[in-house]
Amino acid sequence: MTEHDDHQIREALQQSFPPVNTELHRDLWPAVLRKLDARTTRVPWYDWALIGLSTSVFLFFPQLILVFAYHL
Amino acid sequence: MDLFQRFALGEIDAFETLVRQFQGDVYAWIVRIVRDPGIAEDLTVETLWRTYRARHQFRPDGNFAAWARRIATNVALDHLRRKRPEQPLLTEPVEPDSPDHLLQQETREKIQQAFRRLPPKLRVAAMLALVEERPYAEIANALGTSVGAVKLRVFRAIRILRKHLNHLGVRR
Repeated sequence: MTEHDDHQIREALQQSFPPVNTELHRDLWPAVLRKLDARTTRVPWYDWALIGLSTSVFLFFPQLILVFAYHL
Repeated sequence: MDLFQRFALGEIDAFETLVRQFQGDVYAWIVRIVRDPGIAEDLTVETLWRTYRARHQFRPDGNFAAWARRIATNVALDHLRRKRPEQPLLTEPVEPDSPDHLLQQETREKIQQAFRRLPPKLRVAAMLALVEERPYAEIANALGTSVGAVKLRVFRAIRILRKHLNHLGVRR
């Protein structure tokens, strides 16, 4: 492969991918903040596991609801 | 305490200042790789969010722009890996008024098609080096690798591209 070949490929690519506008036209901080809030308020997986486990226990042993309510 | 130290400690005000200061640079880098303004904005938000999440790994005496650019490159690479290769890339509108234009358009599409078939790591290196003509050292820094490795990726990209183009009937 010669330098001339490389130049041809480079030229072909530049013609196929015209220059893009690299200027950002809006402030992305509100979107970043939304994403940050969404991720921090997300319920972690172990909380879901605990909820699932408690529901199963109450479903199979409903009398435990009274014990649980007594201790609340 | 300076801005970078406050950011590393998780101060949201410091992070906001950094986002406002560097969001343009991050966006410009990503849009050069993905070539779609809408996607580039989404990936910029993802990058900035990841920088905040990884703030403990940032050394306050280090270069924030270079660090954010490296994260941005990884985010763009993840996007290219997820994206289906059939998805067309944005090109300038061409008026289909003459056979020459049609031929040029067809060739352009074939070149884009061949380019999309490259592995994402080679695509990023080739896009930045050959299309955007960014310095090899800058690309190497953003990819977290050496200049030699970038040159090798570009060389391999050209070789594969040439093979694909020959296969598609485009002689270069």
